[in-house]
Amino acid sequence: MTDVQTTPVVTTLIIGAGFAGLGSAIRLQQEGIDDMVILERDKQVGGTWRDNQYPGAACDIPSNLYSYSFAPNPDWSRSFSGAREILGYIHHLVNQFDLARYIRFGTNVTGLNWDQDRGVWEATTEGGETYYAKTVVMAQGPLSNPGFPNIAGIEDFQGKKIHSAQWDHNYNLEGKRVGVIGTGASAIQIVPSIVGKVDKLTVFQRTPPWVMPRPDFETPDWQKLAFRKLPLSQNALRKALYLAHESMALGVIWNSPLTRLAERLGKWHLRNQVKDRWLRRQLTPNYRLGCKRVLVSSDYYPALQQPNCKLITWPIARIDENGVRTVEGIEHQFDCLIFATGFNVSNAGTPFPITGVDGRQLNDEWKRGASAYKSINVAGYPNLFLTFGPNSGPGHNSALVYMESQINYIVKAVRTITSLDLKGLDVRQSAQESHNRAIQKRLSRTNWNTGCKSWYLTEDGFNATMYPGFATQYALQMKEVVLKDYRLLPHS
Amino acid sequence: MAKIDLDKMLEKIKSSQWSLSDVDWDAPGAELITAEQWPKLKAFMADLMWIEHVGARAFAAMAKKAPDDTLREIYTYFHAEEQRHANAEMALMKRWGMLEENELPEPNNNLRLVIEWLDRFADDQPVYVLGTVVPMLEIALDGALCKFLLETVDDPVCHQAFELINNDESRHLGVGFTVMEMQGHGKTYRELARMVAQLMDPRLILGIASYFPLLNKMRDNIIEMGLPEEKLYAAMQKFEKIGGRSEDGRRNPWFQIIKYHGRFVVDRGNRFYHKPIDALVKVTDAIPRRAFPAVPSWVREITYQTTA
Ligand SMILES: Cc1cc2nc3c(=O)[nH]c(=O)nc-3n(C[C@H](O)[C@H](O)[C@H](O)COP(=O)(O)OP(=O)(O)OC[C@H]3O[C@@H](n4cnc5c(N)ncnc54)[C@H](O)[C@@H]3O)c2cc1C
Ligand SMILES: [Fe+2]
Ligand SMILES: [Fe+2]
Repeated sequence: MTDVQTTPVVTTLIIGAGFAGLGSAIRLQQEGIDDMVILERDKQVGGTWRDNQYPGAACDIPSNLYSYSFAPNPDWSRSFSGAREILGYIHHLVNQFDLARYIRFGTNVTGLNWDQDRGVWEATTEGGETYYAKTVVMAQGPLSNPGFPNIAGIEDFQGKKIHSAQWDHNYNLEGKRVGVIGTGASAIQIVPSIVGKVDKLTVFQRTPPWVMPRPDFETPDWQKLAFRKLPLSQNALRKALYLAHESMALGVIWNSPLTRLAERLGKWHLRNQVKDRWLRRQLTPNYRLGCKRVLVSSDYYPALQQPNCKLITWPIARIDENGVRTVEGIEHQFDCLIFATGFNVSNAGTPFPITGVDGRQLNDEWKRGASAYKSINVAGYPNLFLTFGPNSGPGHNSALVYMESQINYIVKAVRTITSLDLKGLDVRQSAQESHNRAIQKRLSRTNWNTGCKSWYLTEDGFNATMYPGFATQYALQMKEVVLKDYRLLPHS
Repeated sequence: MAKIDLDKMLEKIKSSQWSLSDVDWDAPGAELITAEQWPKLKAFMADLMWIEHVGARAFAAMAKKAPDDTLREIYTYFHAEEQRHANAEMALMKRWGMLEENELPEPNNNLRLVIEWLDRFADDQPVYVLGTVVPMLEIALDGALCKFLLETVDDPVCHQAFELINNDESRHLGVGFTVMEMQGHGKTYRELARMVAQLMDPRLILGIASYFPLLNKMRDNIIEMGLPEEKLYAAMQKFEKIGGRSEDGRRNPWFQIIKYHGRFVVDRGNRFYHKPIDALVKVTDAIPRRAFPAVPSWVREITYQTTA
């Protein structure tokens, strides 16, 4: 009890200091809420862009769209900025909005508990401290826990092991024999960046991705100047980019003539860059475009064809002390193995135990696939807000566009709770269910649910990840907090 | 029911992997190859290795057309396993001094035709065409060629390698016959109609034209080496017996065709079949090397080296 008296109850507790957590803090602050605390397990801000500093790391959505509209940056150096520059932008946000004072670094949240009597969330941490808050924003990131593949013998390897999201900048790749496992978004950025440096590069592919040409170029100085002097011009570019990406939804999300067109572009890109028929066959995707993340790169295919580079499509039998044994019977020996194998995505469970009304466990409820009301609230867990929650993932547009919708929703809801002095705002089960019925019905008609295996789907093929629609539709859904969908719990 | 559970089979395949480096290719025993055996064995091994390699390519095509994820993955493994067999056989050739440093044996002309055909058309073939031809070839290999090889060659390393290879092959056959039965299941008439249509497909006819002589050529090869023809017949009969063990299997029209074809191949008395095909063998043998287009790059992927 003493504990409760000495530890203050803040209005909002934010878990994670990546784009989502910091963006939430900025907008809450702008709306006059500043008794908040941000708990970050690392020693630095930045999330994705702090962790993914591998060679070639960059966004694949144009920077002018992959940034916050409430904090435009006129100085982006390229159309697709690199990880370092994006991280710089995040640090800049922290300074500009004076966010450091809210952040508790080195604080790893291990559980959340709803105190029904007081209407307070209790956050336990690895270090043993407990934090209390009226409202909680989950901003721990959808892709923040590096995932290693399930390959036998992975511990036996005696050489250097590096995960793309935990790059070791002290390790010198120069002259090394290097294997890259995986051919997803990270791998296709890493391969061209290191092929010129290493002695030998072997790329292990299980499923070939769809790869589109990447219109990357340096920002001319006159444009930076224009953006500074005429912020509206940058705003206009952002709008144009936004609409261009919105139109891509037609090809990426649904099977439409545009899908065919995009597939043709992908095949053209491949034919154009790869002359050898067999290599082309190995690189040709055997699933519909959009079913998995569509990648962009103009230097991946050329890198694979460098004399010191080789694409291996044989299945991996096991890893041993020297390298990778593939099923064609050969042991590929390496000094260093790079795992570009993505993240452990919790699309069927929670990152740590979350206990709601009457002791209910969110992890149990989500066992067969996560679901929420408008991706942001879950019935039985009042005042708990999710960023990047179930079915909020974009396949075609900037994650930050979706995030802004979520953040603005959260700010409105928190304002509602404080201004009405509510104990809790708890979404109705019925509202949540009818939302999900509609979402799943729409998902069944999308490319993601056409049979390929991807991290979008749970083991059983349930899509708990993606939002089946345009960003504009999503924004519309998030525009208002519809109070009739909630139970307003007064202080008794 | 003799049918196997394909999901369990996939698990079994994944847990039964081996590598070239599991065999000590420098162990004693190479000297057991007699001087008289050597040249014939060299020709035989070169053909065998190439057959494994084109078999691999056939599985690659099947993986592309597989009706479900499990079969796709199984065929992807089989593709690699056949490549492993070719690699292991090359390693044996190297061990026996039949290959220079980095030498790749030349494929014979029949094989060149098959390679050409596979490279151009195999990916377009429906899975049940290759799905029936391949088990036929496999049973010929497994039941005749490899067994015979082991009877004539005393080198223990050869025996060790082929024990590994044959373990793989028994799984290939298990899957092959199961799939044939699956395809036979209750759709005879539709398949028959489609099959007739396919028989008319010039691309398939080309394939047949290169596959038939290959079988005759191989038969000549092994007879040359002293394999009693009966062994080959016994292998063919095994194909008929296993493939036709169930109603479903018998109903697969491709099984029927390949079965009758197999009977033709082994029945040397059938002059209507062998005269023209043997002639084709002669003709293809006479095709000058330069008449063939450059070999596709997958052909250069085999190696006797255990590490890379
Ligand atoms: C390599 C890569 C490239 C990408 N490129 C793009 C792109 O081009 N366009 C796009 O739209 N999206 C892209 N994304 C998606 C990207 O994840 C999001 O755009 C965005 O950065 C996510 O921000 P976030 O704040 O939600 O999560 P994160 O950036 O992951 O931040 C979460 C933070 O929470 C902290 N944390 C996690 N768990 C705990 C805990 N238990 N306690 C305390 N702190 C915790 C983490 O340390 C981290 O700092 C990319 C992702 C990756 C991995
Ligand atoms: Fe084989
Ligand atoms: Fe086989």
